[in-house]
Amino acid sequence: MATLTVEIVSPEKALWAGPASALMARSSEGNFTILPQHTPMVGDIVSSIVRVETSEGEIAFAVHTGYFQVGPGSEEGETLATVLAGVAERTTEIDVARAQAAKEAAEAQLAGASKGDQPDDETYLIALAALERAELRLSAAAK
Amino acid sequence: MAGGQERVLRRRIKSVQSTRKITKAMELIAAAQIPRSLARILANRPYRLGMQRIVLEAALGDPAGAKKLLAMPEKVDVAIVLVITGDRGLSGAYNNATLRAGERLVVKLQNEGTEVRLFCVGKKAAAYFRFRGLAVQESFVGFVDRPTFADVQLVARHLSALYVDGEAQQILMVSMRYLSAGTQAVEVQQLLPLVMPELPADDQPAALKGYTEFEPEVEKLLFFLAPRALESEIFSALLEAAASFHTSQQRAMAAATENADELGQTLTRVMNRARQDSITTEIMEIVGGAEALRSRK
Repeated sequence: MATLTVEIVSPEKALWAGPASALMARSSEGNFTILPQHTPMVGDIVSSIVRVETSEGEIAFAVHTGYFQVGPGSEEGETLATVLAGVAERTTEIDVARAQAAKEAAEAQLAGASKGDQPDDETYLIALAALERAELRLSAAAK
Repeated sequence: MAGGQERVLRRRIKSVQSTRKITKAMELIAAAQIPRSLARILANRPYRLGMQRIVLEAALGDPAGAKKLLAMPEKVDVAIVLVITGDRGLSGAYNNATLRAGERLVVKLQNEGTEVRLFCVGKKAAAYFRFRGLAVQESFVGFVDRPTFADVQLVARHLSALYVDGEAQQILMVSMRYLSAGTQAVEVQQLLPLVMPELPADDQPAALKGYTEFEPEVEKLLFFLAPRALESEIFSALLEAAASFHTSQQRAMAAATENADELGQTLTRVMNRARQDSITTEIMEIVGGAEALRSRK
């Protein structure tokens, strides 16, 4: 029987693992959906919301860039999809107030940086990344 | 005179006992940290294995492109050495073993004519290498007890930037690996160029036949994947280093507590004898005095 097992893992912990009917995410080349029996595949995931369709409904994760791999699992007919994310969280666990605060802090930092003659490259990039993360969290939590 | 000796001993016993209290507390704290750091190693394992699997698959998908990232360059002009130790001492041989191995590696590379850029994690490493007269390019402190992935990204960014710019051709890492509760060993690991990860035999996915699809194309993917793989390896090394540190400290402090117990016991015995001696002397003096008074009559 064709089944799909999805694993969402971050370096700090395995976020979620279990059987699913579909995995939807976005790579640098566009949105994609993984169904059971998908051909082996390796790719990246851009900052986006990753959805897993299970028998108990849809579970969504905010993934701040990562990679995924699809391959045959250990059981007959099983397809294993692994999502590796540096930073990721379940949308239901997002702290909206904190994300909002982080967004404002990052925006303030960016505004300050662009005013200066030579914005410090690294600080600027870090603030930009922080802003991106905060915005994704907010949009993920809103849905 | 005898009374003075007794006082000195009493003071020493007190000092040994308060040291014992501290080492005992440190032992208990370290012991409490061990399961927590072990749990983090376990939690990190799926990510680490997944990352190794992806690297392996990508490398197999494009052997030509992978050469650049996987093969050793003909000549290494500049090598980066990352040494991971603790921020704190009082942990037995933990820091020293790592530092000695790190220094050996640096000297070996220098003898081969390679320029070494030294990066340190942990206060002890930076202090040691500065003392030994080796220039430390950058030192990261304050998170080795409980590393987070964000800390690691900071370290990895520094390293991979140098590698990507072509300033260094090799990145090596010296750290304590946690093999089991009883064994920790210093290991030198090559981070970049990436080493083909060895997967446990039963975990070998059947997909490793080279017909995998890539998105984006594999060359681009590998280019961005390499820094991520570097992060993942450094993170797991840091987690294992933290576990090794706590284990080592717990052992060292248990031994110190035992020593303090022993020393306290010996000192108490010596003190009791000194006290007995002084009492005996006193009695002898009194008896002697009384004898003298009586014989005068």
